[in-house]
Amino acid sequence: MKRRRMFMNCVALLAIFALLPIGMAQADGHCEFADYTITLGNLAPLSAPGAVAGGIAMDWAAKQAAADINADCGIQIDGVNHQVAVVTGDSEGSPERGQAVAERLILEDEVDAMLGVYHSAVGLATMGIMEANQIPTVFSEPWNDNVSANGIREFDGAPPRFEDGIDHIFRISPASSMVGSVVVDWLLSLGVDDVVLIVENTDYGQPAAADEKARFEAAGATVSQIDVELGTEDFVPILSRIQARAEAPDVIRIIVTGETSFNLTQQMSELGVAPSADTICVTNQFAFQSEQYWATVPDGNYCAFNRVGIIPSLFSDAAVALNAKYEMEFGDIVPSFAMATYDAVYIIADAMERAGSYTDAAAIVGAIEATDLDLSQGRYYFRFGGHNPDLPEGTPEFMWHQWPDPIVTVMQYFEPGQSGLDAAVIYPEVYQTHGTSYIVPGTSP
Amino acid sequence: MAVFNRFETAIDAGIGRRRLGYLLLGLVLLFFLWFPNDASQSNYAKTVFISGFFYAIMASSWALLAGIAGQFSFGHMAFMGIGAYVAGLIARDGFIIAGLGIQITPESISAIGAIIVGTVVAGLVGLVIGWLLLRLRAAYLALFTIAFAELFRIAMLTEYDYTGGSNGLSLRPLIEVAEVDTARQIEYYLMFALLIVCLLLMYRVVNSPIGMFLRAMREDEDAASALGVNVVRYKILVFVFTSMIVGLAGAIFYSDVGSERIIPEQLEVLQMSLIIAYAVIGGMESLIGAAAGAFISRYMLEAMREVVITLPFGLTMADGSDAFTWETGAWRFALFGLVMVFTLRYMRNGLLYPIINWFSGRDLVMKKTVSKRHDWDDDPAQLEGRDE
Amino acid sequence: MVIEDTLFILWLMVAGPLWATVGLFVMPGVNQDQPKEDQISKTTLQIAGVIGGFALGPIGVALLYFEPAMIRRTTMMVGVIVTVFATSQVLVRVVDPNLPSALWLILAGPLWAAIAAYILPRHYRELEADDQNVLTAAALGGFAIGPLIIGLMWKSTPKINRDWMITLGSLGAWQIYTLFAIQNPDNPCVLAPFSLTYLTQQTANGVVIGSIYSLMAVGLTLIYSVQGIVSFAHGQLYMVGGYFSFYFLLHGGNVLSDLTGTEVSINPIWGIPVAAVIVFVMGALFERTFLKPMHEGLIERAAEYAILITFGFGFVIEYTTLAVAGPFPQRTDRFIEIRRFTLQRTTITEDFAFGPINIIGDRAFAMVVGIVLIFALLYFLQRTWTGRALRATSQDRQAAAVTGINPTNMNTLSFALGSMLAAMSGAALIPIFAWVPWVGAEMVGRSYVIVVLGGLGSVPGALFGGIIVGIVEALGAGCHPDPSRGAAYKEAFALVIFALVLLLKPTGLFGREHN
Repeated sequence: MKRRRMFMNCVALLAIFALLPIGMAQADGHCEFADYTITLGNLAPLSAPGAVAGGIAMDWAAKQAAADINADCGIQIDGVNHQVAVVTGDSEGSPERGQAVAERLILEDEVDAMLGVYHSAVGLATMGIMEANQIPTVFSEPWNDNVSANGIREFDGAPPRFEDGIDHIFRISPASSMVGSVVVDWLLSLGVDDVVLIVENTDYGQPAAADEKARFEAAGATVSQIDVELGTEDFVPILSRIQARAEAPDVIRIIVTGETSFNLTQQMSELGVAPSADTICVTNQFAFQSEQYWATVPDGNYCAFNRVGIIPSLFSDAAVALNAKYEMEFGDIVPSFAMATYDAVYIIADAMERAGSYTDAAAIVGAIEATDLDLSQGRYYFRFGGHNPDLPEGTPEFMWHQWPDPIVTVMQYFEPGQSGLDAAVIYPEVYQTHGTSYIVPGTSP
Repeated sequence: MAVFNRFETAIDAGIGRRRLGYLLLGLVLLFFLWFPNDASQSNYAKTVFISGFFYAIMASSWALLAGIAGQFSFGHMAFMGIGAYVAGLIARDGFIIAGLGIQITPESISAIGAIIVGTVVAGLVGLVIGWLLLRLRAAYLALFTIAFAELFRIAMLTEYDYTGGSNGLSLRPLIEVAEVDTARQIEYYLMFALLIVCLLLMYRVVNSPIGMFLRAMREDEDAASALGVNVVRYKILVFVFTSMIVGLAGAIFYSDVGSERIIPEQLEVLQMSLIIAYAVIGGMESLIGAAAGAFISRYMLEAMREVVITLPFGLTMADGSDAFTWETGAWRFALFGLVMVFTLRYMRNGLLYPIINWFSGRDLVMKKTVSKRHDWDDDPAQLEGRDE
Repeated sequence: MVIEDTLFILWLMVAGPLWATVGLFVMPGVNQDQPKEDQISKTTLQIAGVIGGFALGPIGVALLYFEPAMIRRTTMMVGVIVTVFATSQVLVRVVDPNLPSALWLILAGPLWAAIAAYILPRHYRELEADDQNVLTAAALGGFAIGPLIIGLMWKSTPKINRDWMITLGSLGAWQIYTLFAIQNPDNPCVLAPFSLTYLTQQTANGVVIGSIYSLMAVGLTLIYSVQGIVSFAHGQLYMVGGYFSFYFLLHGGNVLSDLTGTEVSINPIWGIPVAAVIVFVMGALFERTFLKPMHEGLIERAAEYAILITFGFGFVIEYTTLAVAGPFPQRTDRFIEIRRFTLQRTTITEDFAFGPINIIGDRAFAMVVGIVLIFALLYFLQRTWTGRALRATSQDRQAAAVTGINPTNMNTLSFALGSMLAAMSGAALIPIFAWVPWVGAEMVGRSYVIVVLGGLGSVPGALFGGIIVGIVEALGAGCHPDPSRGAAYKEAFALVIFALVLLLKPTGLFGREHN
């Protein structure tokens, strides 16, 4: 009898797994909506090995944008209001998984446009799928230079895709090279000539470091690069090595993300390596989320960091409202990739309204190319695309379908526990808030 | 129960459980063969099946290594990675062995050639590792293979000048497909055929005297050795054999069949632990059980992303809907782990074991001491016949 | 906080000799409970006491007192360190930095190690010579002096004793050091006289972090010694211990603030006992449900089951924590408000100065916590009835059962205690590292290295293994000729040691001879 019961148990268990149904979003409100709901696919890493924290914020931002658009009566096409729904696919930070999920979103969920993507490796792997299926796509976070250009595949050898006429991929996050130049220009303007780069060995860290290194060396500075693995906790031996140099470096630039960068920054300041009188500490854009930063880097005062995305002094009403919502949800300042994902939904919605269609990919791409829209991160437009196909000599290929104006600044904390919104913007000069391009540790602007 | 009793008697009197089992297996095979021809199925469904086949190969070969031969290795994913990385590097850079005058340029090597080289290298590394592991048992072996796998992953990540680091390495595409809509069909059948071939090969090994020796070795190495089993030879053999299988599967899967590039994160311990969990849930001692376990577990993990439970008896939620949504996305791995733990404790041979067993028709009591051969293992000829 | 030079010298003058005197008088007490044949000569004990007391103060004395077996090993390690340092200082002045590395390849390297390790043990066995440690010596020697070792050992098949191992070990270390020196002459490790400070700093870094590693590894080894299984859930128990501490401090602080009406924050030290209690109960429950049937013989192939079931347990804990706590990094307040201890620069002669040496305050505190807890455990194991019962069970289950010890309870106790130690090290480290649900993975890998190096089942082995691994990681990252690779492969250095120990000497440094 026991044997049979086991059998039945198994069958029952398998049956339960087989019958787990999938839910559907629903809506109500004051607007009249047509039957067809426009769906947008959002690729975000929601489980390991991806950057889960980033994925959760992007998922939230896209859904928040859809809710806000729906509250404003959705997308109006030919006088009819359509609701917007966002389906988030979990890329798990892996290209293989990202490809499968992108196909699922496009083919099963039949999304009308795609957005999101956090990891560059996922971006590189999925671009081909979006192209092949002719899905207008606005990437909001991958930084790799190759993402919005022709997408390098070692064995492809295909000519740049935009010569074929239509190219569906847009990007509103900066390319790595665009970020590096600002930090490097700032440091060079301070007269720095001895640089230590501490770099994570990932698809984000290495290209960024290579770019910055080349820029520093072109300006005659000496650069030593130290690679670390993400997940390393104890950096003291590495920092002791830096400390043991006959002369302290002028700057330590951290190109590491997540909790690894927090550990590194904290140990650096605990040991007194940087920030110090001799050495400038430059950490990454994650420091802008001040709650998290101060909770994990209590000694991180006077560290400068690059901010990618709009700066607090320029926050529009939309940005302030989005920040308030984010703070309600997560208790911290809204990160740039959440803002960009939020804006990406609006860019697509606006383009569909102007194109007067949610199915005609060519029309939507054309409309996105002609975007001129003020959103939470600033004014969006695309300089090079089908409407302006000739890249001038010397312009990098990634400028195709690339938002040229992501604001990249350098900011610096000068009080312990300071909110990211109050931190000083120190470079470029046009954005300076405290009239100085570097706050020497121990002083106040 | 009474219904089931009557059903059981009827089956026994009529077609017989065993034949019913083969019939069902045949139907499953037919379903897999027919599936990509279903016009209503999207490419996505095929993609899911393709990676399902891949993980089925991984899980079943791990079942052979750990469940049947008792070599508890955590290095399985690393061998897969060796196959894929070597194939990719050879196709990109070629190689030169100066002393022997061997010089292969990237242009002169085809995708298939690269895959063969990858497979052979995976086998060679398996040979070395198997030889090194001869002295180690159980926990020591598990620890050593974890260390090996981690070292390999860190090296792939750190030497990004050669391996592409976490941007991943593209392999030479195995199939050039011009038309988008016909794509995936070839990949699907290729991966499916690979699964069948690997399973048949493994069954061949398991059912030969070697399989017997492997089991004897697992139960008691010293006793087996005393009885004249050449433990050294079979241990190394099983390592080389499974390494080559996963090396081959990896090299093919990442040659743009299942995925366009391999990344070091794929070799993390988490991925390996998923393979182990698949095999455990499906049944560590049954190759087909482990393969099916991979399929079912992956489906389960997908389905658990968001679970909606409809409330019974006309009950409604506060907002008027009758569905209770539970955000299982974050919890799914925890639940999956629970399933694995309870399977281990209460159904050691996997959730599928009772079903396979019932069809086998053998009047088995669910003994705790089950390390017997299953019926599927008994008759490879039948299985092969079914396939043709 | 800065320790002034004078203070430091005062400490050296007073504290060292003071504790050395204590060691001199206390150490002979080791012999009192021992049977005659196990006694160690009084002079040896006194010398050890003086050295231990002088070098490590009360810690050194206590360590040697509780584990007299360590005396021999300590001698060996001191020998290696002194040899390496002395020879390297000579070398740096002699070796031409442009020497081609081909020389290195011909003379030595892993190839010769493999050849020697393959040939020599077989040769010994053929001649029926005593082949204990021959494999290790052959590999070490092959690495250090290349083909010479085969010649040395082939002819006379000497019995490999301690002296052989010390000499070969020193030569191997010397070899690596030379290689580092040749490849990168600017390596801070070899730039005398400055390297003395640097090596001391890196060794101190290693000792501090290593003592913390030890606490976790001790738990692992305790479970192994009693139950004979390796817990693959250890990293997750470590992680969850940190989270229990975090949530206790967060909510406890809030509750206290509400009650008193003022802002109250609890020192994270209180999180350690809280995490300990919770995880102790967790561990006990898990053992009763899942491991007990194994010991009752209800489960086939127990070794494999033990790996899988603990692995599954860890998997569940990790993802439950991820679902509850989310992926955002957390951290508690610090233990002490001292950012770092600095030993100021002391100028000894015109061109020779020592210092500064920096130790992060919170780490020093955590190290003290770790060492105190390990000694508490040693005391528990050596001096209380329950502790002795645990040890008895680990040595011989049947015999222990005969004397009225319940092995089932001992199993539960060992697993719960081991898990508790992991949780305590987690709670001790959450003020130091940013905490995320996958934080256990890196740490547990290191624990495996430590226990295997020290010998699975040996508590003092875990303590020393922890410190050695700490030092190797620090020196590896600090001395690797390429700073970038040194940092990226930091974790890999320990893994390499691990693989080597497993292959050459699976019983580790302190392990019992069993498998």
